[in-house]
Amino acid sequence: MPLFEIANAAVVRFESVTFLGRNQEGSDVQLLDGITFSAPGGEITAIIGPSGGGKSTLIRLVNRLAEPAAGAVFLGDSDIRDIDPLQLRRQVALVPQKPFMFEGSVLDNLQMPFLYRHQTPPTSDSAEVRQVMSLARLEPDMPQRNARSLSLGQQQRVAIARALIAKPQVLLLDEPTSALDRRTSDALAATLREICHSQNLTMIMVTHDLRLTEKIADHCLYLESGRIVEQGRASDLLAYPMSEELKRFLAEPSEQEDGNG
Amino acid sequence: MDNQGLAHMGLLDLALAYGLVLLAIGLARLERIGQETQMLWASLRMVFQLLAVGYLLHFVFAVKSPLPVLAILIVMGAFSLQVMGGRIKRKMPRFYQVMGSSLFIGCGGVTFLFCSLVVHYSPWYDPRYLIPLAGMIIGNSMNGASLAAERLGAEMRERREEIETALCLGASARQASKTALRNAFRAALMPTTNTMAAMGIVSLPGMMTGQILSGTEPMVAVRYQVAIMCAITGAVAITAYLILLQGYRHYFSKAHQLNPIDN
Repeated sequence: MPLFEIANAAVVRFESVTFLGRNQEGSDVQLLDGITFSAPGGEITAIIGPSGGGKSTLIRLVNRLAEPAAGAVFLGDSDIRDIDPLQLRRQVALVPQKPFMFEGSVLDNLQMPFLYRHQTPPTSDSAEVRQVMSLARLEPDMPQRNARSLSLGQQQRVAIARALIAKPQVLLLDEPTSALDRRTSDALAATLREICHSQNLTMIMVTHDLRLTEKIADHCLYLESGRIVEQGRASDLLAYPMSEELKRFLAEPSEQEDGNG
Repeated sequence: MDNQGLAHMGLLDLALAYGLVLLAIGLARLERIGQETQMLWASLRMVFQLLAVGYLLHFVFAVKSPLPVLAILIVMGAFSLQVMGGRIKRKMPRFYQVMGSSLFIGCGGVTFLFCSLVVHYSPWYDPRYLIPLAGMIIGNSMNGASLAAERLGAEMRERREEIETALCLGASARQASKTALRNAFRAALMPTTNTMAAMGIVSLPGMMTGQILSGTEPMVAVRYQVAIMCAITGAVAITAYLILLQGYRHYFSKAHQLNPIDN
């Protein structure tokens, strides 16, 4: 099976994707409906919209944590179903909203992706560890610290470093700033922007945070009730919303507050 | 039946013993704990159930061909499956398939090896040996099996975040459930380990006590007890291991996706 030997950053493309979930009564509900879009390689695409609109579900389809009911997701030219799922998740990393830290030190956490692959894990003074530590702006003494005793902001950064250490082509972020205060969130935004450009990474991030979107996103999708209501360049979308739904969302203060936790 | 070693116990003696139950019921009545009827009912049930099983065994022990004995073992296994199914509220996916096959291989295999290699008797299906030995092995494995299944289900629910994080980092379903599987296996082995460690000091095991009462030389009874404990430990471990090995897979799809919670 051909792996992705491409110099250009990978494009993620959705084609008429539908996703069925189950509600509390146990019946099927359509959580995503006819989703078609393209996240350009090497750029940041933000997915915004009210809670329960299907945003988190959407990115879980990119690394195949979940399976669409209809339609297809492409990475470059390949349908992701044609790629071995374990291989795919090495190319497409996902950082969940609430970072989970494995027991042990930060270094133990950074080593996990290598252990899963039966590879010799890098040591704390290796180039790999040092590179992701500096990309995620983690202090040099961090590898030795107990991962679970760190602050949420630090854990979020460790989760990003842990995702980057496998050298993915696509980075998916679910509400990266939801647990952070404004200052930490601004710092993380700058970090993400820099990582995206320096590593030629394709980023898709789900967020409530309009400030974050404004600051770093190149593209933007507005998702409500499982449908894409509007999409386009982030700056245009936020400055000149066309649809009533997006106008209402942008005018709603609580949604923006939510993003800054 | 031969009971040369056993002191004779007549019906009158039994009635005297039953007097102790009546005494207990009287005490309960005096203190108005409101359980007298249940106690009386339970004691009567005990007498009738044991009488019934005694008559049943009387006929079963007379059986001289393997098929009826095997059928009885299957009924015992099915009954233990049903008990486990009733005891565990949140069942793992394909509960009966996983539990049934594991119990069959784990208990069946160990019972067969134990009876043919360790305890020498003939014919191999002699119900006097096979049924009580298999009963002890199945009964104990049932506890280990239900602990394994229950704990696996709980771990898979509690550790969703951990498991999905591992999957995101490229772990296989097996790698992602490693901690869950380890904890469930530990829980399954705990009671047998504790029983072995306490044996002889905290408790005198029932089988050994029974053999001694019926006139068996204590050292012979001890040998039997050690051997049966070893068989039980092996059966519990194999059954629980098979349950976990098959069970965790049903929480995932073929593409290493953690399935949504069903209940």
